[in-house]
Amino acid sequence: MSNFQFNRRDMLKALAATSGSMMGGATWAQSAQGDLNIAVLSQFSGNYATLGPSILRGAQLIVEERGGKVLGRKINLLQRDDEGKPAVGVRRITELVENEGVRYFTGNASSAVGLAESEIAARSKVVQFAGGGSDEFTGARCNDFTFQWSAHPYTACSSTLEYIRKLHPNAKRIYTLTADYAFGHSLLKYTQALAAGLGFEVVAGDRHPANERQFTQYFNKAFAAKPDVVLLLTAGADFLAAARQLHSFGAKNLVVGAPWAAEIDDLKELTPEMRAGLILGLNYHAGIDHPVNKSFVVSAVKKFKTVPTYPMAMGYDTFRTLFLAMEKANSVDPTVVAKTLEGWRFDSVHGGTQIDAKTHQSIRPYYIARCKAASEMKNADDIAEIVYQGNKPQPVELNDCKRA
Amino acid sequence: MSSLVVAQLINGCAIGMLYAVMAFGLSIIKGLLNVPNFAHGALFATGAYVCYAIANMGLPFGIALIGAFAVPALIGAMLQRFGLEKLAKADYLLQVLFLFGIALALEQSLVVIWGTSGVSLTAPSLLSGSFDLGFMRLPRYLVFVTVASATCIAVLWFLIERTKLGSQVRAGIEKSEMARCLGINIKGLLILGFALGAGMAGLAGGIALPLLGASSSSGNDMMSIAFVVLVLGGLGSLYGSVVAGLLLGIVQSLSTLVAPTMSTLLLYVVMTLVLLVRPQGLFGER
Repeated sequence: MSNFQFNRRDMLKALAATSGSMMGGATWAQSAQGDLNIAVLSQFSGNYATLGPSILRGAQLIVEERGGKVLGRKINLLQRDDEGKPAVGVRRITELVENEGVRYFTGNASSAVGLAESEIAARSKVVQFAGGGSDEFTGARCNDFTFQWSAHPYTACSSTLEYIRKLHPNAKRIYTLTADYAFGHSLLKYTQALAAGLGFEVVAGDRHPANERQFTQYFNKAFAAKPDVVLLLTAGADFLAAARQLHSFGAKNLVVGAPWAAEIDDLKELTPEMRAGLILGLNYHAGIDHPVNKSFVVSAVKKFKTVPTYPMAMGYDTFRTLFLAMEKANSVDPTVVAKTLEGWRFDSVHGGTQIDAKTHQSIRPYYIARCKAASEMKNADDIAEIVYQGNKPQPVELNDCKRA
Repeated sequence: MSSLVVAQLINGCAIGMLYAVMAFGLSIIKGLLNVPNFAHGALFATGAYVCYAIANMGLPFGIALIGAFAVPALIGAMLQRFGLEKLAKADYLLQVLFLFGIALALEQSLVVIWGTSGVSLTAPSLLSGSFDLGFMRLPRYLVFVTVASATCIAVLWFLIERTKLGSQVRAGIEKSEMARCLGINIKGLLILGFALGAGMAGLAGGIALPLLGASSSSGNDMMSIAFVVLVLGGLGSLYGSVVAGLLLGIVQSLSTLVAPTMSTLLLYVVMTLVLLVRPQGLFGER
């Protein structure tokens, strides 16, 4: 029989001691001595292995610019490979949060990965600044801790169509070629929502499976519909294959637009003849005329000897925004910082930017570039020029975010 | 609608001929060596890159296509002479693994030489643009793909069916032991056969370059289809692969009229259905 005697007072003392130590852990963020652990969780292997290192470089740049500190705390920048797989991303972020004490992360290249990670962000109360273009980040799967750095696909589609309307006042008939996955469906949904208001009519369209390589049969159908505009609502290698094969038809009067298909660097895979005249939507361009961006570009060129593109800009700007928000809140607590970000107006690499208080969508410009013909190019990197920027946010009635 | 069907049929024939060229080479190797060439896709990509490199030197596209055939053919000859020949008496799995390893090595070599980004080549001006047939626009380059592929297969047909060397190749495919007993240089035949098959893969890559571009992994997509064509046409049947290639190209093209999102899935459905009825493929022997 035990000699231990247990009474209510001892129980309450024990509970208080335990709670106190837990509170101490939870309030580490308030201590001036604790390091701040942040992470880039992105693709460092596989088909998109170049994205992770580029995002990481951007993050390293902003950490260095700040002397490696924020609010007196040392910033520890960690990296992990999500391999482009949601299950791996979830495992990695869980490990980062529970074992490394990471409280802020960014980097997903794939929306599917980012959305899976957003569940962990919400549950663990850590701030995620998502990349990828899915409207679910700030729509049906919005949460208190996930923010979207990329423009909304509605903004992308509206900017693209607005520019096409401006350049081609008589264009009317649109054919859409859509990638048959969630992001493609989003682009199609918003194209259809916007078309009539800008005097367009979507006369025909097809969905293609992911990793499709043969597109000539789709374009046969496209030309049968006699479109003025072909919109390529697809991305990556699928887009490049489609662009190559559309070029083979030699339809010189056809307007070809791609609201969210590739970044400038990706276009180097096409010959100038294949991409000449292509109207391309961009989340970022090194030529953005704003002091924040110009300073970023100078730093990136100096350190990495390369003009920054979207991934590096994302890595830089997401953490820059978070550090500024921490200073504004005078806290590194993710809950406090997330609240600070809501509705906040500030200057980013895009210039004037606001974060929607409810959906956490970054409201900022979206850029439209026109690809140059070979004769217009000053050098091999002079692929396109920014010709337009739009920033129409998604209408409230089209948003599915249920946050209060 | 009927004009669209015709347009898709024409498109399907062009795509199918490209599949046929790819599968024809695979069929030669399978028939002669009785081993599936898992390096076939990598040889396709190699041919595409060689074509790109030669064309970028300013040389005519025709020369680039010759290079697209020759370099993979040389690689194929070396693979047979210094690799598979030594593994001839080893376990079948070792030969398969050897070819798989070669595929990975070739793909990584392409990355080392040309980087991770893909490349494209604009078709020569004579082959650019399209014919406006009224009911459809027919890209000139698709016509070239059809004609070039058919010509390659016709040349190989002549070589195999109408020359002494070809008769030896056929003997090697159908009755290798008997051929050896009759004094036919089987070793040389196998080297030639692998070279021809590899060369056809590379040539397919070169022909496809203006349409599909090239990347280190571009052969993987074609490889899957080439195997489907091979199986559908009948293992060991050279001309079965031509018919099967055309069939699959047409199926893929016509499927966009009824179920565009299932165009790739339908290829495998067709293969499965045919094999259920004829396990030996359309022209194979039981």
